[in-house]
Amino acid sequence: MIYHKDDSFVARRLDEELILIPVRNKISDMNYIYILNEVGARIWELIDGLRDAKDIVRIIQEEYEPVEDLEADLLEFIADLEKIGAIRPSA
Amino acid sequence: MDCLHGIDEIRYSDWRDSLYTRALSRRIPLSGGIELTFRCNNNCVHCYCNLPASDRNEMVREMDTETIKKTIDSIVEEGCLWLFITGGEPLLRRDFNDIWVYAKKKGLFLTLFTNGTLIDEEIADLLHEWRPFSVEITLYGATEKTYESITRQPGSFRRCIKGIERLIERGIFLKLKTMAMKENFSEIGHMKEMAERWGVSFRFDPLINSRLNMDRSPLSQRLRPEDVVVLDMIDEERRDAWKDLCMRAEEIKGSELLYDCGAGANSFHIDPYGNLYICIMARKEGYNLRKGSFKDGWNNLIASLKEKRASPENKCRTCNLYHICGNCPGWSQSEIGVDEGPVDYLCEVARRRAEAFIDMDFQNKEVKG
Repeated sequence: MIYHKDDSFVARRLDEELILIPVRNKISDMNYIYILNEVGARIWELIDGLRDAKDIVRIIQEEYEPVEDLEADLLEFIADLEKIGAIRPSA
Repeated sequence: MDCLHGIDEIRYSDWRDSLYTRALSRRIPLSGGIELTFRCNNNCVHCYCNLPASDRNEMVREMDTETIKKTIDSIVEEGCLWLFITGGEPLLRRDFNDIWVYAKKKGLFLTLFTNGTLIDEEIADLLHEWRPFSVEITLYGATEKTYESITRQPGSFRRCIKGIERLIERGIFLKLKTMAMKENFSEIGHMKEMAERWGVSFRFDPLINSRLNMDRSPLSQRLRPEDVVVLDMIDEERRDAWKDLCMRAEEIKGSELLYDCGAGANSFHIDPYGNLYICIMARKEGYNLRKGSFKDGWNNLIASLKEKRASPENKCRTCNLYHICGNCPGWSQSEIGVDEGPVDYLCEVARRRAEAFIDMDFQNKEVKG
């Protein structure tokens, strides 16, 4: 599955954190904020509407030490991004 | 490597506090304000900056759209996250929509300060689509008569109410506030009730400033110090907060810095002409962003102001009311034209508050200030 970023979110790097900020058509619910860790930020960078999720897994595996269930973790992470509306499946 | 436990979902207030703490040592300008214009469609009796809405000389002096966008780029580059947009009346700018959307797309949490009278269907729809962090509307009175005795603009009360309703209809996060003054003193409670009926918060500020050019005419609207305390007393939340502060005041350990607050540490202010200041009130020294970068102004002029120490002769710092009165270089500059020194009105309000909230007998207790 290929995903692209939704333009209703903007990513900002602040004090070594990458935060996702809803900018358009979102209720201004500021009770919670979305923060990506280092790997999450790298995945966010790799989601470009061109790469398949499996390609992203492969790149992460090459760049970081392997961990168990990486693919499952990645899919969960992508599902979370989709759930909050930050990414959408490309047609 | 880090685990990928999805996205860290952190309570906003916890994250904000943590970010401010971490950013403080690195002097990241996390929050600021920008005045898009000093022009206003109202003509309020107490205002510190308002100029006629159609003032062509002012239009020429103000930053143009591209300069404002470059300024937004530069503050975002340095880490700004929270920005309030104010005036004058910022909605008077014909390029307001363009500026608002541009700033939103940069990922800023935007707060809009407005009198609400220019919030038509188009602006309300824009704010619905490109949501603000909040909109803060100043309500000058609970009745048309009082409201317009302050704004000196017929029809402004009705337009303000309509603007408020348009935002509420769209579920936009709205806060109401007012400057408490002689004209509306008797209606503060009614304004709070109006806000409660709309389901929005309400606060008031009773401390009116001189105009930016030190013209003292707005001060004729100031409440008597004893009436400031009357207002403190009728609002339960406010009363508790003042009581708590007054009880703790003598134990608060202040810093030796002249700017004994967040100004210049993580916040800044920019006027309509592109001058960068350490805060919205202290405007004696500014950095011209049209001639240099925000980064340069923040790291040099603002940093040097922030490093200034309070004078040993500044008797306010040894006064036991210092943490009650709220005096600061901004107040001293606007009231007496210098960085440091007592502002008589603030002294008197502080004395009244201390008497009221901690029952201190200032007739017998020496006040060092």
